[in-house]
Amino acid sequence: MIQVQYIRKEFELTKKQQKENNTSEKVAVAVNDISFECKPGRIFSLLGPNGAGKTTTLRMLAGILQPTSGSIQINEIDIQKNPNEAKKDIGFLTGSTGLYERLTANEIISYFAKLYGVSDQDFKQRKEHLYELLGMHDFQDKRIGRLSTGMKQKVSIARTMIHDPKVVIFDEPTSGLDVITAENIIKLISDCKEQGKTVIFSSHIMSEVDLLCDDLAIIHKGNIVHSSTMEEYRNAMTTSSLTAEFIKIINENN
Amino acid sequence: MIFTIFKKELTDTLRDRRTIIAMIVVPILVFPIILGLSTSVSKYFDDKQKEEVLKVALISEDTDNQFTQRLSAIPDSLGPKELIFRQDTIGLKKEISEDSLQLAIVIPADFDQQQKENQQSTIQVFHKGVNLGNKDRVEGYVSIIENTLLEDRFERLSLDKQLIDPINEQYVDISSKKEVIGKVAGGFLPYLFIIFGFIGCMYPAIDLFTGEKERKTLETLLTTPVPRWKILVGKMLVISLSGIAAAVFALVGMFAGLRLFNLVDIPGINEIIDGILTPSFIVGLLILLIPLTIFFAGIMIPATIYAKSFKEAQSVLTPVNFIIFLPAIIGMLPNIELDYTTAFIPIVNIVLATKEMVAGTIDFVLLGISYLVMVIFAALSILFSYKRFGRESNIVS
Repeated sequence: MIQVQYIRKEFELTKKQQKENNTSEKVAVAVNDISFECKPGRIFSLLGPNGAGKTTTLRMLAGILQPTSGSIQINEIDIQKNPNEAKKDIGFLTGSTGLYERLTANEIISYFAKLYGVSDQDFKQRKEHLYELLGMHDFQDKRIGRLSTGMKQKVSIARTMIHDPKVVIFDEPTSGLDVITAENIIKLISDCKEQGKTVIFSSHIMSEVDLLCDDLAIIHKGNIVHSSTMEEYRNAMTTSSLTAEFIKIINENN
Repeated sequence: MIFTIFKKELTDTLRDRRTIIAMIVVPILVFPIILGLSTSVSKYFDDKQKEEVLKVALISEDTDNQFTQRLSAIPDSLGPKELIFRQDTIGLKKEISEDSLQLAIVIPADFDQQQKENQQSTIQVFHKGVNLGNKDRVEGYVSIIENTLLEDRFERLSLDKQLIDPINEQYVDISSKKEVIGKVAGGFLPYLFIIFGFIGCMYPAIDLFTGEKERKTLETLLTTPVPRWKILVGKMLVISLSGIAAAVFALVGMFAGLRLFNLVDIPGINEIIDGILTPSFIVGLLILLIPLTIFFAGIMIPATIYAKSFKEAQSVLTPVNFIIFLPAIIGMLPNIELDYTTAFIPIVNIVLATKEMVAGTIDFVLLGISYLVMVIFAALSILFSYKRFGRESNIVS
């Protein structure tokens, strides 16, 4: 469960940035007092155009950034007050995630398992399960630098899931991937739902949203401009497609 | 947890070719190569100079003067020469400048008479100033001739040579050879450690911070339930260890060059090296290197966290490089010693303490102060790094 209440994120602007943005404001508001809730066993999609505040929101949920105000509860643990406890329950994967090129798949998985404090027995079981599921046995001892994009993505997935997180955050997970590699991610997201995990993912690919999403929020210029279940969104549509409806909502709030 | 991070970062670092080159290959090879090259090059030129037959023109109306006789008598072991007799100086300058003749000596016609009358004779030597060795050679010849002429005069005048040498000074050096080496060359050793310690720290620091940002792995690492200070300490230990390793490999390279391959031909050098490189000296040096390399890591990390690319990190660290080398150079200067002022100046104090350790004249109170000062600066640099590592604008792009 993720509970987000009135979170706000301000970034200080340097003089150079003020000049570039043609503003005298000393701070830029990336996320403006937003609230939403993601429930276990459901997939929550955060939609928005580039620069809307999706990545900043997800980074706050993952504990990488601190909100300026507001609160975030991960499975009822306040991530600001108890970040390391909350992070134990989180798996975080982005489309641009890098991996240590000079390490092997095995070394990376084992490293992250240790960072999350996974016991040896759990590690062995989960590793075997994930390697089997993703077909990773053949390249487990190869260095990441020698793997294809698809293989790397599989290692990233195994790295994200090795501690069996209850909450999984995906930030544009399929961006830059070919359809076959993206399919691994789509399957992972729906598997997470089946396992009763809380899933939030950001995207601007409406076909993915249509396929996976149970609840959605549309974020624009740091504000949530629409929030509903996917069913409600479909029923309330006044345009011919999901994408057209998304563009209409954005334009209405410009 | 710190050990897990340390182990992973060390594995990652040891698989980076750039780091291996800066940490092991360059430090270990630089001294044998520099020593070997400089020794063989200078030996080659020395030998060439000694073997080169100098064509010396002697210009005098009296071809059988004493100067000529004595010059002819100088053995070839002091440099082979071919004497050519001329009556005048016509064309000499051209021949010398074209190198068909190396030297020309104009001897007065009444040279023998002047000597007989105990007068001073003036000889004129034409030489080409750019050929430094030729002038040295002729000065050597003239000095030998002058001495023999002087001895003849004393004998003729029945005088004792002591007449022109009223004081016979006897210097008794009570400092050991080790002390002399320590004071004169000892500054070089810590300078070496600072250079290699710094370079050894630099590549891992860039790789472990800027590299993580550039490769987009830092964000993932920060989502793990590991406190940031533990991540920082784990990485810092690897950086510091790389600096120590580079300094130690430089020492090994220097030792191998001097001791095992005998690249420098100085009598007694092996005994001096053995006297300096005692186990207690090496242990003492390693202990000094720990806060020094932590300090290096501490001042590099903020720069490498700030930089967005490997190139940017390198250009930010280059000026830092110069700032670090300056105190190292100060420490190398003669007559600057470890005292209650210099012991409080970081880096300078380590350089001077090492110098004293090489000489075997270390004052343990001053060593303690130097160490404490360096530890405090290392701690401050860690704190500074921690603050910078905590800044969101530095860690996410």
